[in-house]
Amino acid sequence: MEVVRAHSRARSGGRGTGVLPLLPFFIFTGFFLLWPVIAVTLRSLHGNKNEWTLANYRPILKSGPYFHAFVVSLKLSLITSIIGSILGAFFAYVIVKYARGKFGAVIDSVSAVFANSGGVPLAFMFVAAFGTEGIVTKLLKDLGWDIYAGHFTIFSFTGVVMVYSFFQVPLMVLVFKPAIAGLRKEWLEASTNLGASSFTYWRRVAIPILIPSFIGAFFLLFAGGFSAYATARALTVGTVPLVPIIIGTLVDGNVISDQANLGDALAVGMIVVATVAMGGYIWAQRKAAKWRNS
Amino acid sequence: MKRISLKWPLIIFSSFLSIIIFIVPLYGASLYSFRGEGGKGHSLVNYQWLLHQDGFYPSLFTSLKLAVLAGLLNLILMVPTMVYLNLKGQRYKSLVDFLCILPLIIPVVSLAIGAQVAMPKILQNSEYELVFFFVIIALPYTYRALDTSLQTVALKTLVEASRSLGATWTRTIIRVIVPAIRSGITGALFLTFALSIGEYTITSLLHWETFPTWTVVAAQQNILGAIAISVFSFVGAIALLSVIALFSKKSAQKAEVEE
Repeated sequence: MEVVRAHSRARSGGRGTGVLPLLPFFIFTGFFLLWPVIAVTLRSLHGNKNEWTLANYRPILKSGPYFHAFVVSLKLSLITSIIGSILGAFFAYVIVKYARGKFGAVIDSVSAVFANSGGVPLAFMFVAAFGTEGIVTKLLKDLGWDIYAGHFTIFSFTGVVMVYSFFQVPLMVLVFKPAIAGLRKEWLEASTNLGASSFTYWRRVAIPILIPSFIGAFFLLFAGGFSAYATARALTVGTVPLVPIIIGTLVDGNVISDQANLGDALAVGMIVVATVAMGGYIWAQRKAAKWRNS
Repeated sequence: MKRISLKWPLIIFSSFLSIIIFIVPLYGASLYSFRGEGGKGHSLVNYQWLLHQDGFYPSLFTSLKLAVLAGLLNLILMVPTMVYLNLKGQRYKSLVDFLCILPLIIPVVSLAIGAQVAMPKILQNSEYELVFFFVIIALPYTYRALDTSLQTVALKTLVEASRSLGATWTRTIIRVIVPAIRSGITGALFLTFALSIGEYTITSLLHWETFPTWTVVAAQQNILGAIAISVFSFVGAIALLSVIALFSKKSAQKAEVEE
């Protein structure tokens, strides 16, 4: 209905200047996307007695469990996005170069599943493989390497790093593949004709062109890793203090804080970090687009 | 100058790497899920356990229902928006582009907290509130899918031809544009569907029960059963997406031939 009305309005409204056909979209995103963000920001600035205050942000900024959670979350997303972007870039190169046709299409969908369906199933799969009774754990033990001899458990920080890498790598493949596919054959030919070796081509041509896309993809992975909730929640049940997990326990009422709106402040803190990371992504994308268009 | 071919070393090394990173956990989990009673032998006991659990069918049904609704709502909202944007609304494009990338920037956890604060009570009391947020979460992907396929068709020509032959706007969209951008529409639909059916974060923070949140609760009773669900949903998703990818490749080739 909405659609039909919007379009008949456009017709009666003359030639192509109206914003009316876009109104359903603006109303929808305004109400379900912008308004929640504004509302949580406003409430984070209110204290227990509904007065304006910055007190909710204090626990995040001074050392303590909430500050620590931000440190752990940042560390986790930094490590996994480094692993993910390097391995993923390598895979993307091999896939673009050697996987064609149907096989390439299947690899695309497999990457999409691995990158997106993360969350809950992923956590349980890793418990099956690397848990104390896991298949891989036993296999490695038979080969003489007891991974549980030290401090490692799949429910620890290292465990979460492993699981996160599992979706960061294919995400990198998806994001970075277009950049590699965009390397033109002519550039390689030109540099070869000018007498450059393969190494020189990579050092002087391909890598400088790919760097902005690589940095952009890195920021995207960073933001994704920082915001991820489901996997860590299902895997650790709170043993690794990550910001999203702590917000979750505050919401569920499992942890009582004397500050009613602390969870809101943490949520806004996450938005700030993610915005900075995505700012990096958008900036790098612009740089990358400049190369492609020139 | 002779170039050394790195083809096979690269392929072998990357296959080896991907086996370690991806195949081993998946294989380990599947082996585990086929374990028999008391961890001995092989059987389907964990999969059978699953089917007889309280809440398996209701939660699966809820997830399917919400995912289908989200897919449809997404198309109803986004197809006209994207068509208009590519046709006449060029100057709003960067604004829409920005709004559609926002769900990637705003952590879903924060969005969920915001939803609790901002949504009117009547909406918060119904599980259908999730449909709206599933559509929001899928926006970055559906925008890309629809935009890409709209740019490959001569939209203006199609619309002018259809309108000058006397078709209404609604008819033009349904009979001319939708068939032309079929691949983008299927892509958008399936992406929304897939994201919705696996969505955990916002669902659990808003305290609704769908298939993923039910799985986590069920896992506390029987981890083997939870692993069985995980393997099932992973393999199922890969199979489904591969079939779609192969099918859409084929129809794209066919379309090229027809032209």
